[in-house]
Amino acid sequence: MTDTILELSQNPLARSLISKAKLPIPMPEKLERPKGAAVERYLDDKRVLYAGSGTSKLTSIIARSLTKAGSMPLLTSEALRDAFAGPSEAYGRHSRVVALDEAESMEHVHAIVLDASTLNHSSELKVLYDVFHGYMRALDHNGRCVVIGRSPESARTLGQASARAALEGFTRSLAKEIGGKAVTANLLYVDDGAEDRVNAPLRFLLSAASAFVTAQPLRVTAKAVWEGEDPFPQPLAGKVALVTGAARGIGEATARALAAEGAHVVCLDRPEDDGPLSEVATAIGGSTLLCNVLDEDAPRRISQYLIETHGGVDIVVHNAGITRDRTLARMDEGRWNMVLGINLDAILKITETLLDGALHDGGRIISLSSIGGIAGNMGQTNYGASKAGVIGFTRFLASQLASRGITVNAVAPGFIETRMTAEMPVVVREVGRRLAALGQGGQPEDVAQAITFFAAPGAAGLTGNVLRVCGGALIGA
Amino acid sequence: MAKSSTVKSGRRAVVVGGLRTPFCKAFSDLTKLDTIALGAAAVSGLLKKLELNPKEIDAISWGGVILPPLSVNVGREIVLDLKLPYSIEGHTVTRACASGLQAITAAAASIERGEADVIIAGGSDSTSNAPIAFPSKIVNVLGPMVLGGKATPADYLGVLPQLMPLSEILPKVPKIAERTTGEVMGESAERMAKRNEISREAQDEFALRSHQRAARAVATGRFDNEVTRVETPDGFVHTDNLVRADTSMEKLGKLRAAFAKDGSGTVTAGNASPLTDGAAATILMSEEKAKALGYRPLAAIRSWSYVAVDPSDQLLIGPALCMPKALDRAGMKLSEIDLVDIHEAFAAQVLSVLKMLSSKAFANERLGKSEAVGDIDVEKLNVHGGSISIGHPFGATGARMVTTMANELAATGKQTALLGICAAGGLGAAAVLEQV
Repeated sequence: MTDTILELSQNPLARSLISKAKLPIPMPEKLERPKGAAVERYLDDKRVLYAGSGTSKLTSIIARSLTKAGSMPLLTSEALRDAFAGPSEAYGRHSRVVALDEAESMEHVHAIVLDASTLNHSSELKVLYDVFHGYMRALDHNGRCVVIGRSPESARTLGQASARAALEGFTRSLAKEIGGKAVTANLLYVDDGAEDRVNAPLRFLLSAASAFVTAQPLRVTAKAVWEGEDPFPQPLAGKVALVTGAARGIGEATARALAAEGAHVVCLDRPEDDGPLSEVATAIGGSTLLCNVLDEDAPRRISQYLIETHGGVDIVVHNAGITRDRTLARMDEGRWNMVLGINLDAILKITETLLDGALHDGGRIISLSSIGGIAGNMGQTNYGASKAGVIGFTRFLASQLASRGITVNAVAPGFIETRMTAEMPVVVREVGRRLAALGQGGQPEDVAQAITFFAAPGAAGLTGNVLRVCGGALIGA
Repeated sequence: MAKSSTVKSGRRAVVVGGLRTPFCKAFSDLTKLDTIALGAAAVSGLLKKLELNPKEIDAISWGGVILPPLSVNVGREIVLDLKLPYSIEGHTVTRACASGLQAITAAAASIERGEADVIIAGGSDSTSNAPIAFPSKIVNVLGPMVLGGKATPADYLGVLPQLMPLSEILPKVPKIAERTTGEVMGESAERMAKRNEISREAQDEFALRSHQRAARAVATGRFDNEVTRVETPDGFVHTDNLVRADTSMEKLGKLRAAFAKDGSGTVTAGNASPLTDGAAATILMSEEKAKALGYRPLAAIRSWSYVAVDPSDQLLIGPALCMPKALDRAGMKLSEIDLVDIHEAFAAQVLSVLKMLSSKAFANERLGKSEAVGDIDVEKLNVHGGSISIGHPFGATGARMVTTMANELAATGKQTALLGICAAGGLGAAAVLEQV
């Protein structure tokens, strides 16, 4: 579906006319999205400001991550320098200190990473003001802000709990203020002992893969067993992935993204979608599996196919889903049963069967929730129930499977430009697009990138997360 | 002292001799000799010097970078031009600036496998005779007519519109640029200088030392037994013409940065290797054959390594990865090596490689080693100068380095020499030579 306003805002003449005439038309910035598979130096020669009041357990890990990615690190204080010295030398990316009083005249930066993991008390929160007030003017369009802290749940004092929780409100608000420049702001809550698992989420949040993810907290924990493997680039080489509903939309984009990162993708959809499904599978060198997820023997057939043909599966993406909208008063039973059956029951049944022999230890389960499952939508009691159910499924299973190294996460898309949203009434669609920090709808690819991020071996720190891919939508806080 | 290498076959390849033409600035004294003629001059000189019966030779293994388009197998052309026995097989390898070393290690591998006993291995290049290629557009359009042989002048006129605009069919000026990144090699060196914080002064100092050492080698006659005079249509050429005995920090300091236009540049014509014409040849034999023919081997080839890195990051850092690998294969540590010879594409590149070899962080991150590979004492590095002062005919450099180091081991009684060469495409090459 064409977004006329987004296109108009790309036209320099229109842009300047609208701004001169002070017309009340939003001018969203075009998002930079990944051009093909991820590359090792995804930040090549881009400046990244690393801020922290002193070194933390994370400093040297982040130093290595940033320099290996090819970025030129800028530091807010001399105290951070030592941690950067080694990696800077090895990767030829030398760090430079830019003190707060020099911030006015500094060059543009791609990203600001604030390490707030040492924050102990609400009285220390001023660092948020100092760093972002001071340096954010230097941020490039399509830039990134990442705040890293410890989770409020793991706080041992009242001061810690308040300070840590404050990071979330700050990040969400910041995201709304900078979204117009297509800049995102997200938060990583990293548990004590999970520091070495920060690389993959940091890569995701600093790269183009997270273009439509903003104002979100992610929790990095050491819950899931992990051998320390974080292959990159091509993180999914040698992995087998199952994607349900892969014939079109988000499912198709996900199959393509997983394949681009090295996975062999088994594309599953209904027998009547044979044509488009084969097209997708052929284009990415994957396989097809024609099957209606509602069929009684679907779980057994899927499991058997994966075991016999591919020796099992590493990544399961539960994407197949439908809407049958009606207000509850007018909703017939069929609409209710159909939506709950496909969107939730099928996921449970298939997962339970796959866990019995098909899904390898260290596997990844990613399900599609929805912003509708978080905030609720008029006419979607059935859909909302199913998508909220997915969240319960995700959180419960995550803790159950951690000992097998299997992570379970969900993505909750906001307004994504698909066949489903194209059918909305014009006004609703327009409101859906603009009521987001980034001022526009997302693409199926944006959701696919988030799924691909959770699918990687390096994403072992993330389990039980529900990540919204919503451009910072107003609803569904 | 580490024990000498044991190849599986039990056959060891030894360097029996080496010789090169003078190395001359492109478009100077050697312009009238193409790469085949230069190669032939080096090979015939070497055969004369060693008084080797050509019938003993199994093959010529030759390296080249700018190959003559109509006769790319330079190795075989040398055999034919010198009227050597037809039975001498000839082949040509190309591995950018590592081509000369590639020719030599390929020969060593053949000998170790028992395929051959005597191989001439070397390389040559004549930048002065670089073919100026027509763009493929003109070849695509005119080629079928020319090769078809039946085209009339009217046919030629007929395709003219297809050749427009004119700017697209002008011959391309050859330049040393990476095909994938479009970056000229000097720009890559400039970037390495920044990445590794190599100052202009350090680069100029390195270049100065290279010239001083090469000049001393020339003046003391150190190169006399490894450089042969060459006959050209304009007379004989006796010596290298790039070495500047009279250069100084002041002179080098006055040169302008050649690649960075913004004033931040540090790479100049003075601290980079120049475009050069020349050839170098070595003779490799199995140790037994050398003994049987009554030669005293100068050195043995103990190990080698080739690697490649991402050309868009640090194009010429390869030696920092493959020199440690060659050492590992030789079962040696850098501290056990007596002589080190690194191809001087640019002073910035050699200094970057040295810095990374000294870096513990680099060893941790890039080599998976817990300790730095080690520091290289300047007293054992490039003892008789290198490509900056002597010159760098691409395909010949590897054979020049092997010859100089083999002679040095034989003359001084030192035990081992480590060689490192960077090359276009992000390649790196290294080898360890040892006393026989």
